[in-house]
Amino acid sequence: MRLTSRFGAAGLAIYFWAFVVFLFAPLAVLLIFSVNKSPVPTLPLSGFSTKWFHEAFSNGVLTGALVRSIAIALVAAVLATALGIMASLGLLALRGRAAALALTVLLLPLVVPYICLAVGLLILVQQIGAQPTLVAVVLGHCVIVLPFAILVIMPRLRSLDPAMNEAAEDLGASPLAALRLITLPLLAPALVSSGIICFVTSFDEFAIASFLAPSGQPTYPVFLYASARTPALLPEVIAVGALIIAGSLLLVVLAEGGRRWAERRLVGETATQAPDLGGEQPRASMAMADSRLT
Amino acid sequence: MTNPDVTGTALDQVDAEHPQEQNAGVSRAPRTGSGQLSLVGLTKHFGPVVAVDKVDLEIPAGGFFSLLGPSGCGKTTTLRMIAGFETPTSGQVLLDGQDIARTPPSKRPVNTVFQSYALFPHLRVFDNVAFGLRRAGVAKHEVRRRVGEALELVQLAGYATRKPGQLSGGQQQRVALARALVLKPAVLLLDEPLGALDAKLRRQLQVELKQLQTQVGITFVYVTHDQEEALTMSDRIAVINEGRIEQAASPQDLYEEPANAFVADFLGVSNLMDAAVTGPSGAGAQVRLSDSFSLEVHRGDVGFRGPAKVVIRPERIGIEPAGTAGHNRIPGLVSNVVYLGSSLQLAIQLASGHVVTALVPNSGEDTAAAWSPGTSVSCYLPPSALRILAGKAAPDGSPDGGG
Repeated sequence: MRLTSRFGAAGLAIYFWAFVVFLFAPLAVLLIFSVNKSPVPTLPLSGFSTKWFHEAFSNGVLTGALVRSIAIALVAAVLATALGIMASLGLLALRGRAAALALTVLLLPLVVPYICLAVGLLILVQQIGAQPTLVAVVLGHCVIVLPFAILVIMPRLRSLDPAMNEAAEDLGASPLAALRLITLPLLAPALVSSGIICFVTSFDEFAIASFLAPSGQPTYPVFLYASARTPALLPEVIAVGALIIAGSLLLVVLAEGGRRWAERRLVGETATQAPDLGGEQPRASMAMADSRLT
Repeated sequence: MTNPDVTGTALDQVDAEHPQEQNAGVSRAPRTGSGQLSLVGLTKHFGPVVAVDKVDLEIPAGGFFSLLGPSGCGKTTTLRMIAGFETPTSGQVLLDGQDIARTPPSKRPVNTVFQSYALFPHLRVFDNVAFGLRRAGVAKHEVRRRVGEALELVQLAGYATRKPGQLSGGQQQRVALARALVLKPAVLLLDEPLGALDAKLRRQLQVELKQLQTQVGITFVYVTHDQEEALTMSDRIAVINEGRIEQAASPQDLYEEPANAFVADFLGVSNLMDAAVTGPSGAGAQVRLSDSFSLEVHRGDVGFRGPAKVVIRPERIGIEPAGTAGHNRIPGLVSNVVYLGSSLQLAIQLASGHVVTALVPNSGEDTAAAWSPGTSVSCYLPPSALRILAGKAAPDGSPDGGG
């Protein structure tokens, strides 16, 4: 299909901007109403105010839920990423049918509805005589984010030259030292990505948390759902929502920056070149070094 | 940056400016023992596949030893068993008399230069070379001194702070060498280390590697499928085919006295002719090529009688004007000519039915014209250049076939 005709190009532009509006309008609404003076989020706007932020952060139940969710997401992300490294190492060591089977089992939570997992987990927790706890939420989140960790880490691990590990062992490193000094640093960009994806997924998760979080200790999504029926809380919720969007944007920018930094470190483009080498000279001196006979 | 543009003359000048003696100070003796390797009944199975089949091999200390064979012949598996990356199914790897076949690679006084170099991309050249020393717990100032020496040895003294990604292929190859040599291993294993480089750099590094080996005196075990490379560099070569050693000998012996048709065919171009050994003749044997043509052959299995192969190198065939009479001469017709620069390669259809390849030195402008296709010639096959090879059949297909 040709898109270069005037009509095609215009159509494409309209489609693109419609898509952008559809995607970002809810976020924009949230940002706008977070600084709106009126306690009811309706137009016309009634003036600029930051009071909802102050109120949100003086609401102990709200901040408690927020901190709880952040803590759970952090632990789940670190745990799942660590498990993801181990699973990827194991999966790549397997061959043939065993590898396919193991991968399928590990990725299964991707297609199981969270609500089913949540019910199952609740029954399991009660069967072993325990009460719903935040630990159970963390474990439940680990199960559902582990597939994401594996899907991010395994391709990166597969792309590493296996001879690199052999070289490390050949030079006297134990298998564990080879993992620590060679494999993990080279996996770093994937580990950062995995951590962020797992964190966001866990932070956002509702079903498992609503079943397994003890009453009185809601995670943030559970708190939001409960408070949606309390109109008085809405402006505070909107304010926190705006903060989370800002935080997410910051996270994305930091992650991209981190990824670029890590890749520069691998290729070594910056600061490592001798200052006196400029223009044609580096190439010439390299050619010299290649041609010198020992 | 992978293709440094260096002319032959510039090379010679650099060579003259940096004579061998400059590096004499960093020559070193091997760390442990003398570096003498013996493979005893070494066998490796991968499932139903026999990759290496009861290999017995003596690799003398301090020499440049090549394992040469087509891809999939088991040479790399053999090397990996010496390095410790594969555990033999059975058999021994004796290093100075001690079996190391089950010692982990990190505990063997053996280091490897990998085909892909396997440099650590996140570490500077210095840290790459220092990796092994630090693992061994060598003191900081000693690490600095020895890494400096090793980088000087491979002419990369100014490159310590670079990352591997900033180096050309040839430079990366040197870093890999320095990283392995800095540990003063008893044996250095090299797995086709020049495979990824262009032809010109390759030839240059072949010479360098050989000089480096002589200088450091460490046993080099070099895996290659390139027969020219093996002939250029090695003190001894083991020709491997289908997991077995076909012949282990000096380059000259392999070329001049191949034990069988595989070796004759794999090392350079050979003319292999089906024939029958009929009886004694002069200092050798009488060989019948066809009903009307027989040859006297002085070398190889001259005591053998029956169907066999007769082999002669292209450069040993004498091309004479048609009608030249005499002993061991067969008339032929030039069917094809390939201009090789320093010589011409002629394909000649012999009257006996065989097709042979002959090399004629390029002596001047009229050489090509003199041997154009269709020219009738007489081929002189000297008895001392002909060998009888009994038994072992020639390999099927090209030397690079297989897995």
